[in-house]
Amino acid sequence: MLKAAQSSDAVGNFIRVANIIANLDIILTEAKNLSLTAKNARVVALRAGDSAFGFKPITNFIDEFSDQTIKTTAEISKLSNQLFTLALAVVRCSNFINHIQKAKKASDSKTLDKLLSAGCDDLIIKSKDLERAIFNLESYFEDIQKQMRSAEYIAVTSRVEASNAGDFSESLQGVSDFIASAAKRIKAAVTDNLSEISKLRGVMR
Amino acid sequence: MKSTELYSSASHTWIVLGRDDSKPEKIIDTNQYLIKSSQEAIILDPGGVELFSPMLASILKHVDLEHVTTLFASHQDPDIISSLGLWDKTIPNAKLHAPWLWEGFIRHFGMENIEYVPIKDEGGEVRVGSATLKFVPAHYLHSSGNFNVYDPQAKILMSGDIGASLEHGEVPMFVDDFAAHVKHMEYFHRRWMPSNRAKSNWIARVKELDIEMMAPQHGRIFKGEAVQEFLEWFAKLDVGIAS
Repeated sequence: MLKAAQSSDAVGNFIRVANIIANLDIILTEAKNLSLTAKNARVVALRAGDSAFGFKPITNFIDEFSDQTIKTTAEISKLSNQLFTLALAVVRCSNFINHIQKAKKASDSKTLDKLLSAGCDDLIIKSKDLERAIFNLESYFEDIQKQMRSAEYIAVTSRVEASNAGDFSESLQGVSDFIASAAKRIKAAVTDNLSEISKLRGVMR
Repeated sequence: MKSTELYSSASHTWIVLGRDDSKPEKIIDTNQYLIKSSQEAIILDPGGVELFSPMLASILKHVDLEHVTTLFASHQDPDIISSLGLWDKTIPNAKLHAPWLWEGFIRHFGMENIEYVPIKDEGGEVRVGSATLKFVPAHYLHSSGNFNVYDPQAKILMSGDIGASLEHGEVPMFVDDFAAHVKHMEYFHRRWMPSNRAKSNWIARVKELDIEMMAPQHGRIFKGEAVQEFLEWFAKLDVGIAS
């Protein structure tokens, strides 16, 4: 028998999926800003010439991990559509089971037993599909988290290089600050999502 | 949910399902119609999601689920067809006949399995076992894509929202005193029916039909003389007024 708590779990899971997808926008926006910052920093480093010699390879690194984050986020976006469909299917299955249980109070038809059994089987299948998709999602977020650890490391090194860039020191320092704060915001969104995923997995277990 | 047989012959039976005691108070009462033939059945305007459970329990008293091959939705309103997502899991091999105009909207109720069969503006027909049912255009009464169902053998016109009445308490199944019934339907028709032109077209169309019973989706059913009385009353009513 599907309990009321299980049914509200289905809706709760749907809301968690929506939260995860909303956080994706934050990650994607910040990653695009990082990519743009890398391009600007490269121009500044070129203008600074030899005094910003050490900063040039750093801009390549920023470009690389921001591109990687954008690609990973795009992959997640594809997965998120699937995730929404699966979460909605779980809500519909549990809704269907609830209605059949109500109908059983008014009729002792064996057809309702069959419908209930088929509905429960369907719910198990759809829940497992959702669980699998969530597992995939988790690994993508772990990738982004690794990329952001690199970003924080680069922010520290770039600060050192920026301090040697003479007249351009201040603007390159700004770049370093931006990398650090963008990485922090992305990490916060990823941490939120990993926490939602962990709750989802807990509920679905 | 109460069920009343409206017509029965060797070929098929009409049953109206409604007046559900368990219905939440603020939800409008609706009539659902089941037409069952030898091995097939159709549900006309299967109703809202809130009524699905009592509807399903009632349907099972009359027909095996595998015989319910067809659904019909006169238009897109939630009290007509918002239960679709649940029927979709209950009778996945069924077909839904509904106005072509509303396909993209009705699919929002959830439809992964049931096949949508669009009804053209000019109408059409469907065969359910040995019964042939005609889709009669009733556009803008009240919905912009809207059909009635006419059964020439039973001489019943399922008229959707046309002829609907809003009453509270224990509502009888049939109109017994037309003059006294007018007060229950006048505001509904003035407010919900937007076009006098569409109304006149529809009246001209249905006057060509031999109708013994006119069965709306809300309230009492018209029988015999009450059908003509309704058509005459409706012809004179000015509709499309919000006061």
